[in-house]
Amino acid sequence: MHERLSYYVKRDSALHRLNPLTKIILALSIVLVSIVSPWYWTAHILLLLVIVPLSFAGRVSREYFTSAIRLILPAAGFIFLMQAFFQPIGNTVIFKYLFLDVTQESLSFAFRISTRIAVMISAFTLFLLTTHPSELMSDLTRRGLPPQFAYVIISTLQILPQMQAKAQTIIAAQRSRGLDTESTFFKRAGSVVPLVGPLVFGSLVEVEERAIAIEARGFTSKSIKTSLHEIPDSLSDKIIRWVLILLVLLSIALKIWLS
Amino acid sequence: MAFINLQNVTYKYPLTKTPVLQNINLQVNEGEFIAVVGPNGAGKSTLCYTLAGFVPHFFKGEISGSVEVAGRESSKSTLDEWVRNVGLAFQNPFNQISGAKYTVFEEIAFGLENNGVPREEIKPRVEEALSLTDISDLADRSPYSLSGGQQQRVALTSILVMRPKLLVLDEPTSQMDPIGTREVFGVVRKMAEGGMTVVMVEHKMEWIAQFADRVIALQDGKILLEGKPNELLTSDLLSENGFGISRYTSTAREAKKQGLWKSEKLPVTLDEAAEGFKP
Repeated sequence: MHERLSYYVKRDSALHRLNPLTKIILALSIVLVSIVSPWYWTAHILLLLVIVPLSFAGRVSREYFTSAIRLILPAAGFIFLMQAFFQPIGNTVIFKYLFLDVTQESLSFAFRISTRIAVMISAFTLFLLTTHPSELMSDLTRRGLPPQFAYVIISTLQILPQMQAKAQTIIAAQRSRGLDTESTFFKRAGSVVPLVGPLVFGSLVEVEERAIAIEARGFTSKSIKTSLHEIPDSLSDKIIRWVLILLVLLSIALKIWLS
Repeated sequence: MAFINLQNVTYKYPLTKTPVLQNINLQVNEGEFIAVVGPNGAGKSTLCYTLAGFVPHFFKGEISGSVEVAGRESSKSTLDEWVRNVGLAFQNPFNQISGAKYTVFEEIAFGLENNGVPREEIKPRVEEALSLTDISDLADRSPYSLSGGQQQRVALTSILVMRPKLLVLDEPTSQMDPIGTREVFGVVRKMAEGGMTVVMVEHKMEWIAQFADRVIALQDGKILLEGKPNELLTSDLLSENGFGISRYTSTAREAKKQGLWKSEKLPVTLDEAAEGFKP
């Protein structure tokens, strides 16, 4: 069934060995710098000279390029078209469609924004590809994130595919008793209604049982939690984090100074 | 003094009129293996929740009487203190998977992490528990990819690894095949011999007869009968009150009416039946 429940790809690489917090800060700083930097080509350079090499360093380049084609390109492409057509700036009209003007300025603006979007998605895709979710949560819990909060995030990630599977089972059961799910749009839309009851109420009952189950295993215990896996946090992790934070502050300062 | 001591326990869930448990009195010694039987709605699961502290701490409602385990009073403890001594595994294995872990190994370590067991100790304890229930080969699988019976074993293991003094099991073998069921009864018996007290709700009479020390028959929230498995499980009162009984018992009872069963005592297990039917 669902053996693969997260984006995480198990490999041994420098990126995998970094502390999860370092990787979050890395992703966030790439995003922040690409947004605040006053220089036009920052996002493009980050994408080509930082993110792509990082995907090789993390030995996840194949997975990264797959998601780039399937997710990042369509998202950035959509933003590009929207901005190019609807951004009411500039006078140098290059292209006209009905009442919409595509100007040189709107094109260049669209190119910048869509690359920023690509940088954002890429940075977090790389983060997800190289970070095991339970390591991330154990590390954040160790640093003071409430365990309840960590639990909600992790269990949601895991339970969603389960709920999907359950919805499929309910649909199959109802189809076997004659529910129409294949004819006209309206009939199919109507057939969603009998699905909602069992799925929603069933899930509510499950929540109670799951609460009992984790409570029985000491989830609200007052003792300080330990963790099965040792999470790496070396001196170089700390140095990288401070350098990144410094870089972000620097680019914010530069932005303020120039404006 | 008894390890479990229930005195006049009556309990009503919130928003209901009739109590689910009525005047329950029960004493269990340390290391005893108690099986609880009863028809649907008899209050078996509620009894489990009461022993495990979830009644009244989780479900609220009205409780009277006293619940004592290992010399401590349930109403005077908090739930997180209580679950350190009492482990609970229940029927639906799917909902007992924490959802916070990606492998069976991590899933079983979850309880130990929560209770702050040092890292060096977690690994050997999980490995020991995995081999106890014979699921070492599942250690790296995702708990969600397992079959119902395998998930039930994981649920049982993740409680056993915490080494509770009292183990409460609510139909822990409902999705298992006969071999799995036998193995679980064997493990539970072994834990009881090691000093763990066990209360187990179960319908499989043949296995209860072979492994449990004492049986409690629950009906409408009251204890109807209490006694040694072989005496109690063949009692006429059970079949008259709609309890499930072993097929060997009912066959022999029918045979007795036609003069084919000679012995005074009715069988519960296959071996006893085979012995009794010998010419």
